[in-house]
Amino acid sequence: MTETTMDRVTALGLRALPHLVLFAALLALWELAVAIGLIESIMIPRPSRIGAAIWELYVTQRTIYFHFAITMTEAVVGFLIGCGVAVTLAVSSSLSETFKRYVAPYAVVLNVTPGIALTPIIIAWFGYGMGSKIALGAVICFFPIFVNTLTGLLKVDEEREELFHSLGTTPFQLFMKLRVPGALPLLFAGMKIGLTTALIGAVVAEFTQATDGVGVLMSRFSFQLNMASSIASLLSMTVIGLILYYSMELLDDRIVFWRREARMTATSRARARAWRRVMGD
Amino acid sequence: MAVAEEITEAGAADAPRRGNVWRRRLLTHLAIFLAIVTLWETGVRAGWLDELFFPRPTDILVSFWRIYISQGNVWYHLYISLGLVLAGFVGGSLLGVGLGAIVGFNPLMRRFLQPYVIVLEATPRIAVAPLLIAILGFGAQSKISIIVLVCFFAPFINTLSGVVNVSPEKLELFRSLGVSKLQTLRKLVLPDAVPVIMAGERLAMTAALTGVLVAEFIQRDVGIGSLILTYTRNLNMASAFACIFTLTIIGFAIFKGMEIADKRIAFWNHEEGRERLSARRRRAFEAKGRA
Repeated sequence: MTETTMDRVTALGLRALPHLVLFAALLALWELAVAIGLIESIMIPRPSRIGAAIWELYVTQRTIYFHFAITMTEAVVGFLIGCGVAVTLAVSSSLSETFKRYVAPYAVVLNVTPGIALTPIIIAWFGYGMGSKIALGAVICFFPIFVNTLTGLLKVDEEREELFHSLGTTPFQLFMKLRVPGALPLLFAGMKIGLTTALIGAVVAEFTQATDGVGVLMSRFSFQLNMASSIASLLSMTVIGLILYYSMELLDDRIVFWRREARMTATSRARARAWRRVMGD
Repeated sequence: MAVAEEITEAGAADAPRRGNVWRRRLLTHLAIFLAIVTLWETGVRAGWLDELFFPRPTDILVSFWRIYISQGNVWYHLYISLGLVLAGFVGGSLLGVGLGAIVGFNPLMRRFLQPYVIVLEATPRIAVAPLLIAILGFGAQSKISIIVLVCFFAPFINTLSGVVNVSPEKLELFRSLGVSKLQTLRKLVLPDAVPVIMAGERLAMTAALTGVLVAEFIQRDVGIGSLILTYTRNLNMASAFACIFTLTIIGFAIFKGMEIADKRIAFWNHEEGRERLSARRRRAFEAKGRA
């Protein structure tokens, strides 16, 4: 067991090695180009400077954690609100044809309007604090989630539906056991887009007017021409994006377990174990 | 023949009824819309809604009149912004499709670029805006480069996946028939990839509009984005709303325009396009037969 794990680690290391070499070579080339003056160092700082700025922000000064938490909270809360409204409206639209008909035009209007254009107005409404960033994130992440959920809920395999009917299911069971599982993969695809979009909303609102957050930090640094720290804050946004994306991916993997073979086997095994325990085996 | 007649008769009988249903629905839509607008108007007049934040619909209409006709100042800003959108979109999508094709056809490059693509995908790309402004200075060139940057990604990814996801079985068939590389590209890769690329272009166009707005929010000089910002700062909310509804109309036009472009360019992916093509071929065939 330990051996196979070791093997896997070695294999992974061997595969990652060329990537790391290339990355190091690129950094060295960049460093050299700045050092001999090929690239202007004020505008595009050396990688070692950026490394130093990251060290400063994360270890010696530790200023970034506060802003990091603010931006991440804004994105997540905005996403949760937008997602809640989107899913509620999508479920209602899938249940009632009339409701869908009268909500659809407004959803389309909201979609074709670039949501970012609302930034100044939302800041005027909700103030300079976190509220406006959350609201902007919620507004712009609404549509992809709404459209994906609705598409998923409406797209039902007719043969399966017939099978459900012939087995005498109630409408509620039909919804929970047929429509919802069918819609989940698309819902998650929408939520992944929505979460990234909510982060964009939070950051843009921070650029426009704010006091705290990674976006503020970054625009302040770049207007001071402290490019190294500015790039370091940009990389922090990438980290936030990666954290959000992969946590959604993890949830997707756990909840929509039937899409991946390995997950499905594991889940069915766990269920079988639980079943056996209940039966007192 | 008899079946065809029956169908047309049934269709003819159905048509007025369907027209009625359609008209009734449109009327209901209009009634709901008018009810919302009236409620809004009375809400503001009665003082339930703060007029500074929720301008009256009639005020928004007056603002439309002012910014388009009596003052006419919006035209200049629209001209600037849409010019930037167009330039950035063309640049970004050319770059994206070109690089996507290069990387897609080159497995080694694909392997080594993948980690960077993943990182780029997770970064809110618009966040590079302040950096680019600092590097390139204020003015049109930094705005265009922001738009190029946000436009670049979707066509790049879609071209890449369109080029890579060629069905291996079909490819094998082509190889076994001894088809040349150029022909494989023309007859197998492009027909499958172009619809995907067009989907990427649609996303890029939306991103371009967002990009120009963010660039203008940060620079605050000219363009529709800075106009919205200025109006909001002056608490002239009616004019700000008029600008936003303008963007809704532009967004809708862009959406429809891209749809039409998609139908024209990737015509084999749409029913009408296929029908048009086969009708043309049939005509050509018949003409040859007569000659």
